[in-house]
Amino acid sequence: MLQVQIEEITIKTPAQNRVLLNDAFFNIGENQIFTILGKNGSGKSTFAKSITGLLDEGYYSVYGSVYFNERDIFSLSIEELLKLRRDKIKYVFQDAMNSFNHLKKLKYYFELLAKNKNEIDDLLGYFLLPDSEKLFKMYPYEVSGGMAQRISFVLALLSKPELIILDEPTSGIDSAIANLFLLKLKEFVKQDKNSVLLITQDILFAEKVSDKIAYLSNNRLSAFYNVKDFLNKKDDPLLVDFLEANNQIKA
Amino acid sequence: MNKLIEIENLNYTVRSNSLLSNAETKTILKNISLEIGTNEIIGITGESGSGKTTLIKLIAGILKPSSGKIKFVLLKEWQSLKTNPVQILFQNNNEILNPFRFIEDIVEEAILLRNKGKIDIDTEKQKIFGSVGFKDELRKRKGFELSGGEQQRAALSRILAAKPELLILDEPFSAQDVESQLNLLNLFKKINEEYNLTMICVAHNLKILRKLADRIFVMYNGEIVESGSIEDIFNSPKNDYTKFLLKCENYNLKYDDLKFKTNLTI
Repeated sequence: MLQVQIEEITIKTPAQNRVLLNDAFFNIGENQIFTILGKNGSGKSTFAKSITGLLDEGYYSVYGSVYFNERDIFSLSIEELLKLRRDKIKYVFQDAMNSFNHLKKLKYYFELLAKNKNEIDDLLGYFLLPDSEKLFKMYPYEVSGGMAQRISFVLALLSKPELIILDEPTSGIDSAIANLFLLKLKEFVKQDKNSVLLITQDILFAEKVSDKIAYLSNNRLSAFYNVKDFLNKKDDPLLVDFLEANNQIKA
Repeated sequence: MNKLIEIENLNYTVRSNSLLSNAETKTILKNISLEIGTNEIIGITGESGSGKTTLIKLIAGILKPSSGKIKFVLLKEWQSLKTNPVQILFQNNNEILNPFRFIEDIVEEAILLRNKGKIDIDTEKQKIFGSVGFKDELRKRKGFELSGGEQQRAALSRILAAKPELLILDEPFSAQDVESQLNLLNLFKKINEEYNLTMICVAHNLKILRKLADRIFVMYNGEIVESGSIEDIFNSPKNDYTKFLLKCENYNLKYDDLKFKTNLTI
């Protein structure tokens, strides 16, 4: 469904070009949740954005290609790309608040994506959000960061995409709400040909939700392993320190 | 064990004075009673809005209680000093560190305030920076030139220079990856021993509190609903809300368990 073949992402600075990521090659299959774990500043978010060409070309160079259902995303026209981002591949960003135009009421976003009020209210209710009557009248700056993140996820689901990319979904919300994300993601990937790419540093969340996990560190993405294999991976030097720290906290 | 703080029937209420509607009072903290011994590390947990931050602000004297008593049993002669025996390590250190001054100078000032010149400043500085693991080459930097983790250590250095008896940590682990969390955890434990500091750590991350604290208080809706040793809380929780929190933390929640959240919507 999604084939990522990125050879290199570099950031251009006046003095030199710095490599952010080398050799990220993997395929995301249908009905699966793929997770990339990594530390702060490892370049996880940049990588996620590169997939649909969201990076600013003035600062970043991306070498390689990404295929979505056999079509090369990087060679799409801007209209096709916008359509793809609207209908097929949806993002839920960490700073979801910035995904909204603060001068537009939330109604605007919902009406762009869904017509069915019942469907909207069901999802809002599921995520313990106010119903559409109340929420539609609100401006994005009136909701908290955690609410913005939930609203962003609801909007992504309403547009019935094939792939949802979530960047640190658990960081701004309390763990009860994180549980809701987990339950909903599992439900989402069971439907149609859906799949999920999750970027996080919450190893337990990854463990509970994922089908495959990889680790990003020092500009390198490890292979994707099954959850059990990942947690017992002792021969991949990239992973050892990370798993060690995690086990010490867990023990 | 010596007692450091004794809190009796503490209440905190606020009044909203709106011109358009009638004044309403809202209770933020209800009947909080607790004791903390010297050298103890106390964890306080509970979700946003449960009153954790209000409680630590009352303990630090930033807020005044509506009723009830907070009694400190301080060992040293604090009245004659210019520094506060209760210090808080806040979450937003980048806003707190003075952007015009070097970290070294900020710490030096705190040492002078606390010790009135009876001390060798360089040795003291060396000791403090050494114990929090603040790199020498960063001393001549300003707060905004440091990373989040470095800022936290700089702020902690200044707090230690003031030699508090009680150190309050407000969500110190949030927004950090596991390796940084582990480093910080070990740092707090080391400081607890080296400086004979009593600590209160507010965190929603129960896994970390389990490694750090001697006792834990669980707050819900302005009340302490359960308190106990690490053993009690994690192995035989009695309160339903504590059980709920543990389930949440382990991502084992089912949708029907969410009754505790029904008041959360807005």
